[in-house]
Amino acid sequence: MNLLTPIASGTIATVAAVLAGLLVLAYILKMRRRRFEVPFSTLWQRVLKEKEATSLWRHLKRLLSLLLLATMVGLLLFAALEPELGGAREDARSIVVIVDASASMKTLDEGNTGEQSRMEAAREQVRLLLDGMSADDSIMLMRMDGRATPLSRFHGDLAKHRKTLSTIEASDTPANLTASLSAAADALRWRKRPQIILVGDGAYPEDALASATWEKVEVPATEPDAATFKNKQLASVDLEGIEVRYQPVGSAANNVGIISFNVRRYISNKLNYEVFIEIQNFSEEPATRRLVLFNGDSEIDVKEVQLAPGQRITKIYPDLGGGAESVLRARIESVKDEASDAFALDDEAWALMPENKRQKVLLVSIDNLYMEGALLIFEHLDVDKLTPEEYETAFAANELPEYDAVIYHAYTPQNVLPSPTHLLYFKPSGPHSPFPITGSLERGRITHVSQTHPITRWLEMSDVNFDTLDTFSVDPSAAEVSLFESIRSSVAAAKKEGRRKIAAFGFDLEGTDVMLRVAFPLMMVNTLDWFAGADSDLITTYTTGRPARVPLDGTYGISEVLVTMPSGATQKAPLREGYATFFATEVGVHKLVARQGGEDVAEIQLAANLSNASESDIEPSAELSLGGKTLERPVPGSATPRQSLWIYLCLMVLLLLLVEWYTFNRRITV
Amino acid sequence: MAARAKKKATKIEDDRSSLFNEEFLKKLEYLHMVSRKTFVGQNRADRRMRKIGSGIEFADHRKYSTGDDFRYIDWNVYGRIDKLLLRLFEEEEDLHIYILLDASKSMLIGEPLKLHYAMQMAAALTYVGLANLDRVGIVPFAENLHAHLPVARGKGRIFKVFDFLRGIEAGGPTNLEEATKSFIHRYKRKGLVVVISDFYDPSGFEEGINSLRYNGFEPFVLQIYDEKEVNPNFHGDLTLVDCETGFAKEITVSKSLIDAYKREHEKYCAELSDFCSQKNIPYFRTHTKIAFDELVLKIFRLGGFLK
Repeated sequence: MNLLTPIASGTIATVAAVLAGLLVLAYILKMRRRRFEVPFSTLWQRVLKEKEATSLWRHLKRLLSLLLLATMVGLLLFAALEPELGGAREDARSIVVIVDASASMKTLDEGNTGEQSRMEAAREQVRLLLDGMSADDSIMLMRMDGRATPLSRFHGDLAKHRKTLSTIEASDTPANLTASLSAAADALRWRKRPQIILVGDGAYPEDALASATWEKVEVPATEPDAATFKNKQLASVDLEGIEVRYQPVGSAANNVGIISFNVRRYISNKLNYEVFIEIQNFSEEPATRRLVLFNGDSEIDVKEVQLAPGQRITKIYPDLGGGAESVLRARIESVKDEASDAFALDDEAWALMPENKRQKVLLVSIDNLYMEGALLIFEHLDVDKLTPEEYETAFAANELPEYDAVIYHAYTPQNVLPSPTHLLYFKPSGPHSPFPITGSLERGRITHVSQTHPITRWLEMSDVNFDTLDTFSVDPSAAEVSLFESIRSSVAAAKKEGRRKIAAFGFDLEGTDVMLRVAFPLMMVNTLDWFAGADSDLITTYTTGRPARVPLDGTYGISEVLVTMPSGATQKAPLREGYATFFATEVGVHKLVARQGGEDVAEIQLAANLSNASESDIEPSAELSLGGKTLERPVPGSATPRQSLWIYLCLMVLLLLLVEWYTFNRRITV
Repeated sequence: MAARAKKKATKIEDDRSSLFNEEFLKKLEYLHMVSRKTFVGQNRADRRMRKIGSGIEFADHRKYSTGDDFRYIDWNVYGRIDKLLLRLFEEEEDLHIYILLDASKSMLIGEPLKLHYAMQMAAALTYVGLANLDRVGIVPFAENLHAHLPVARGKGRIFKVFDFLRGIEAGGPTNLEEATKSFIHRYKRKGLVVVISDFYDPSGFEEGINSLRYNGFEPFVLQIYDEKEVNPNFHGDLTLVDCETGFAKEITVSKSLIDAYKREHEKYCAELSDFCSQKNIPYFRTHTKIAFDELVLKIFRLGGFLK
């Protein structure tokens, strides 16, 4: 007899102890009895006196009942250990079958006419492998795409494995061979005759194939070799003692694919943008393709490109403008007389431009030509100007329209426009300053500029002169950020209050030469871009199969985000401290929405592309070399007839249950 | 909720309003007719006591003693054998019938209640007695005697009897011995004592019945039981509670226990029956499913009540 022990023996022992305790407790505890009135208890007492002579037997019967129940519990727990008749063979193997479900497995090159995908062929190969497995072999199925996903535990139920196998579909993510081999090796640790069977097309990165180690490497005793070794060891996959075999699928190699596609707006002119695209011919024949670029559904460029075998070409489309949509799409199409390639997933790619929203800005200031001039150069701004007196009058009369942002220059109003209007202060003063003023520095200099905040990006402020610099009290625990510091005192700060963003500079433009520097318009554009959420560093185009952190403004306190995938399916992703962890499994445009109290608080669109040259190189490998060792084909195991016993144990429990029921109802065991 | 359900479950439906209706009265009349035609026959006297006294029918002779009435000396016998013998006659007098009705708490069990059945029996026997010009009284008892219906005669009193029976307060444990002792002290006039009870007396029934016998009363035993008392249909773990004494016992009722109980009940009834046979006491045993008029006819047929 052999125990498969799908549940740890320790767990079974704990459950057995708890159940035994509960059973005994249940027998010790007295049940609340029904009361029954009789007219003449004397007769019953006489009968019971006679029966007392047999009380030992009565106790024994109760004990028998307890034993019967304990036997049932024991049989059920034994069934949970999945005992099998036939005995464990010494040559029984523990096998992890890694099924490649990466993007390249969508290649249509199998079957007589190439209409069958590699995924279908892989499933068929695994089915054949399962047919040849020994009944003693314990098998685990593992899916390999951007992640390693175990699909079963170790067991020998081939029918169950076939059912699981039929659910595996190829995803749009590249294969993560290292993670899959590591997971399989970990699962096989301490098991007898461990074996990994890899079923796939062999289109894996060279570094992943080289990362495997077959022998335990001795730790070097001396530095710096030890540190180098440690780093190398962390990255490698320890396959010591594990037999790895490889079953290839796939035949075609003709593929031309987009391996890079991205877009960015110009900083100086946010209405225009440039596009970067990279295409590679992975086949051994020259290829001609038509490259079409779309803005939304509108074609904005069509080019015919010719690629030599293995050639990679880069195209840059500068100064593109117009087009209302922010979604760009590139597609390569086969031209006349040219056969289309077998792998269609990388023929299309998406990119998203950061949103370019026109902003309505109110400047509250006594005339300042530098400020007005700086605002005039930005084409996407609509600027209104009011003096402080006009502002107060209009505010009191409730005549102010809605603005995206208000700039208060050398003036700190008592009343500000309601959220979500963003506020920018120059030299705020008094109790209504957004940050408490702690002091003033005469002829101060800026000694430190925040390296991380969007407002201070690309700013150089070290040689700027100031007559006076007001210092602010900044509370980091309230998510307030110091932008500029003069000898550890904050002289510029920013914060968020719900959906409203506030920035304040502790100087006015009258007593400084900053407006004569490049830093000034840059500071203004950074600030207004930050207000608008138009972060020029924001990456909106990702590759599938790799986790990315995406910032979502105003989402503090929200723990998850709803992701709508290109197929329309939705899933939830974690959101921590304003950053969503995004893992794309499909190519196309994804929408992330953060909700709170039934309302959409923040929303962002992201594009995901395969953009993986290793994955687009679909040429299958008939032979695979892993860690310098060429992998052999899998071999069938020797079959041994075995009989699973759990069903009979359950039937036995059922039978005992019937016996218990009968004896109880017949008052035999009570 | 559970407490309310429990209360509901133990509540006794003691509705006596329809016990003595028109139909019941018709049955009583029928019983009276039958008793006269079938069982009494040609006897002129309704019932005579076995008592020597001043009647007209010769009974026996005895020796003359000083102080005896000269008028009863049999001078013919004196002439023949030269001995003074006195002529004795059977004394004719009204028969006194007492109905000792068990109104203990155990009588409030059954379907219908044993007490209701006993009341109907008592009413029937009272009616027949009254109709036969006997004097009948009803004495309910439990631990001791309850309020009684005085001895009286005449059919017209039957409605008073009904009212009395309706008003009997039931409850308390059974103590036949104490009840009969009190009865003997209270009623000096001897007569027939019909004891209607389930005889579920923890101290036994013998002393009570013997007390009646020793004091010149003629006991007539009528045992009533409910079928469920003989064949209990409960099982499992439960607490048995004696409805009279409150004695509680946790038991697990099995089939074998039920069988043993049935045997014990049968044995108890047999003890009562044997006791009555040995003492020449008429004994009837019935369960509440048998119609009371059938039982009365059976009593008439077997004799003992009517002579």
